[in-house]
Amino acid sequence: MQKRYFFPKSQRFPYGALARSLVLLGLILSLLFPAGCTREKKSDTTTVRFVTWKPNQPAVWDEIVELFEKEHPDITIEREVGPHSSTAFHDLLTQKLKNKSPDVDVFFMDVIWPPEFAAAGWAMPLNELFSAEEQEQFLHGPVIANIYKDKIYGVPLFIDSGMLFYRKDLLDRYGFNPPKTWDEMVKQAGTIVAGESKKGADIYGFSGQFKQYEGLVCNMLEYILSNNGHILNPDTGNPEIAGDPAVRAMQFVRDNIVGGIATGGVLTYEEPESIAPFIEGKVVFHRNWPYAWEVSNNPERSKIAGKVAITQLPHFSGGKSYATLGGWQLGISNYSRNKDAAWKFVQFLTSERIQKLLALNAGLAPTRKALYGDAEILGRYPQFSEMKDVFLTAYPRPRSPLYPAISNTLQRFFSKIITDPHSDIAREAKAASREIEKILALTR
Amino acid sequence: MSGRAKRAGFYFLTLVIVFFSLLPFLWFLDTSLKTQREVTATPPELFPSGSLHSYQSAIEQYNLLHYVKNSIIVAGATTLITLIISVFAGYALARLRIKYKGVIMGSLLLVSMFPQISIAGPVWKILQSFGWLNTYQGLILPYVTLTLPLGVWILTSFFKELPEELEKAARVDGCSHFQALFKIIVPLAAPGVFTAAILIFIYAWNEFFFALLIMTQQKYQTLPVGIALFQGQYTMPWGEIAAASTVATVPLVLLVFLFQKRIIRGLSAGAVKG
Amino acid sequence: MFALSLIAPCFLFILTFAFYPIAYSFFLSLHRIIISLPGLEQPFIWFGNYKELFHDKIALQSLVNTFLFVFTTTFFELLFGLAIALAINKHFRGRGIVRAAVLIPWAIPTVVASQMWRFIFNDTYGLLNYAFFGSDTALYQAWLADPLFAFLAIVAADVWKTSSFAALIILAGLQTIPDELYDAAKIDGATAWQRFVKITLPLVKPALLIALLFRTMDAFRVFDLVFVMTQGGPADSTNVLQFYGYKKIFAEGLMGYGSTISVLVFFVTLLISLLYLKMIGTRLFGERS
Repeated sequence: MQKRYFFPKSQRFPYGALARSLVLLGLILSLLFPAGCTREKKSDTTTVRFVTWKPNQPAVWDEIVELFEKEHPDITIEREVGPHSSTAFHDLLTQKLKNKSPDVDVFFMDVIWPPEFAAAGWAMPLNELFSAEEQEQFLHGPVIANIYKDKIYGVPLFIDSGMLFYRKDLLDRYGFNPPKTWDEMVKQAGTIVAGESKKGADIYGFSGQFKQYEGLVCNMLEYILSNNGHILNPDTGNPEIAGDPAVRAMQFVRDNIVGGIATGGVLTYEEPESIAPFIEGKVVFHRNWPYAWEVSNNPERSKIAGKVAITQLPHFSGGKSYATLGGWQLGISNYSRNKDAAWKFVQFLTSERIQKLLALNAGLAPTRKALYGDAEILGRYPQFSEMKDVFLTAYPRPRSPLYPAISNTLQRFFSKIITDPHSDIAREAKAASREIEKILALTR
Repeated sequence: MSGRAKRAGFYFLTLVIVFFSLLPFLWFLDTSLKTQREVTATPPELFPSGSLHSYQSAIEQYNLLHYVKNSIIVAGATTLITLIISVFAGYALARLRIKYKGVIMGSLLLVSMFPQISIAGPVWKILQSFGWLNTYQGLILPYVTLTLPLGVWILTSFFKELPEELEKAARVDGCSHFQALFKIIVPLAAPGVFTAAILIFIYAWNEFFFALLIMTQQKYQTLPVGIALFQGQYTMPWGEIAAASTVATVPLVLLVFLFQKRIIRGLSAGAVKG
Repeated sequence: MFALSLIAPCFLFILTFAFYPIAYSFFLSLHRIIISLPGLEQPFIWFGNYKELFHDKIALQSLVNTFLFVFTTTFFELLFGLAIALAINKHFRGRGIVRAAVLIPWAIPTVVASQMWRFIFNDTYGLLNYAFFGSDTALYQAWLADPLFAFLAIVAADVWKTSSFAALIILAGLQTIPDELYDAAKIDGATAWQRFVKITLPLVKPALLIALLFRTMDAFRVFDLVFVMTQGGPADSTNVLQFYGYKKIFAEGLMGYGSTISVLVFFVTLLISLLYLKMIGTRLFGERS
């Protein structure tokens, strides 16, 4: 009886529509399986598949690939474009490599990945191709980052490192020089924000990257190292985040940066979110990678074009300025079937001429030392000569094939202590150290 | 309270419900029609100038149509395969004598309930060993598994509704079970089959977790994965995200408006029966 | 035999892609498997991973978060679900459109809903800030930067998205209540509230229980919202089991250890669903009613 409530009897059913949609599905289905397993075409050109992320200046990359194909008519480059977030790109790429997929030949590696890719056997050792003399031509930091157990697994294409961007116009207005120490930066920001707010401006002191993700580790590292602290002790390799200098640096970040001069949303910021208020003119100091120079000086996107300057990141008194080493390397997959062609492409991309092109047209900082003396580049980007000093001090993050696990532990720990103002930093740091020791024990 | 005031109160309440149900979707639709500057204006601007820039950019810069194509293929194939298998199983469970029917139905229910993570690692390994990561069939097979409980439950309950006499008559006329199923039962239960199809399609269209694990190549990624991983280098491309989201949602909105009665019936058939 | 051959394909799928993987997860969880260190091979370590899981504070926190999420979302979803169901159960003009509108949040892909809410909660362009503070941008809050608000944000997004599902199931229950009962009660002089408590609630209870079962199980596997809106942060306040397991297995490559989380999650949900099914009773299977 009650069933009638559920299923009213009368209904006209669109048989025609259903039949049509089923036929459509059938058609799609029949198209599908051939599409899923295409066999390799036999032709006289080799295809090199390059896994890359969505670049900031796509036109430059198109130009470079075209140039390569013109000079190597027997090789075609097929690009696969992944997400720009380092973590998301890592997940995508490693899943391909775990799959031993032959459809990856050349790929980008973030500076922290080579040990992992080497230990897993995903990246091909390049010692025979990338000679010691050739390595000499590159900046030291990035080359070291590509070495794992005496073999080299990648060629650095461009270097990134943290730097401080600031509003030159505002600092000038208040008669400040760019800050040398973190304390100075906080004080200057306080004065400027107070002064500008009186005039009705909506402005904050600082923005950086403090969301729970890889960038948080980069940011925190710069405070800890510039207070003579360490994540891992450089000699023993043991965690040292519970050490006194590290704890004091973190306390400073929590009280004076996140809980002080930074924008309220800073705990949700990755790079794209953090630069947005800066180019809107709502932030005095901004920590970011070199690409931010291009973006913040581009009048189409930025309200502060021409008012920006850069300097080394500040340090604590008694410490030295440190910048986290970033940047991207090119690696070749061990499962690639076109290793020769792949190497030609890598060699081409990292050559002096292409690096120069990338520097001039995409603002990417070269890894070849010689280019820092190049008149054309320095004429266009005078800041590169300053950057070189930053790059020489750039410090790699802990190098370990289990870096992702270490980093996740650090991200949790950092996020916790800067988010919760009542957490006990020293105690949390000890707990995190134990976690990291456990991870390190796996590789010993 | 007078009848009129009551009525007004009721309509007001309904209006509030409708308003909040639609608000986030309308806001994204609105955002997708803004120019780049309007999207990131603070405070937000309520009314867009009707620019299609975000759609154009989502298509040209972010391969939106690619994702749409993959979603159609995966959701379409899943729907078809699940339906065929569910018709058989549903018929057997509704009409034939099978031992442990309760256990079978219960274990199906269980499959639809446990979190994907409890099978994710092994499913990934199985697909890897077949070389089926980043293929359509690699995603379709798990989807079929996950939607089968839904399909079987709905079809079983619809088949049970049909009078057994018709089928008996057909059997007397010399039809086999098989013929009876396809000549009598399925056409009669067509509304049920169609309802199941809509629900399965929506599930497969929306699924994210397995799509994220299995489709690591952009070429094969479905809409939800594409939308989740949208990110630019210097700003979040909110306009493009909103545009892609609108494109992903509009087919569903249409399905819902056209077939809301069937969907409601299908969902409740799976749940309240007995 | 014929019957068995009809359900065979169905079970072939279920066995290969559901039951076998569960057993396989258990097998993996007894090994140390690190994807990025194939040199370690895959040593069998008995319950070593489980021992570690026992001391893993983050796993504990994500378990607590998951339970908190399940409780708060199901509570509000049933509450709103009941309200919506009562509203759309009436006969009025335009009911079809109202029903469809209510269904839309349910039909929208969770990823899309997550992006929508992430945008609404945004600290500079967010609609929520605009609704609260108008054009006074200095007051704008970064909702997702606060552990409590970030958690509430994913709760709100989930409640918005799935209240309508609860409403539908409750609605189906409501429709089984014959109008005559209400008419009789009215004649006896029962107030609207009495009718609701004495007739509606008891009779709709089975539907409420089923809605509770479905919503609990679904809330337990929350992933999309966390992945898109917060990535588990800030300070792990939105880290939930399914996200933690995903990170361990697929981002950190700890296949063995991650599988212990899979197994844990499976048993917890199994336990809860059996509990519910016992409460709802065997009527669900339509055999003995």
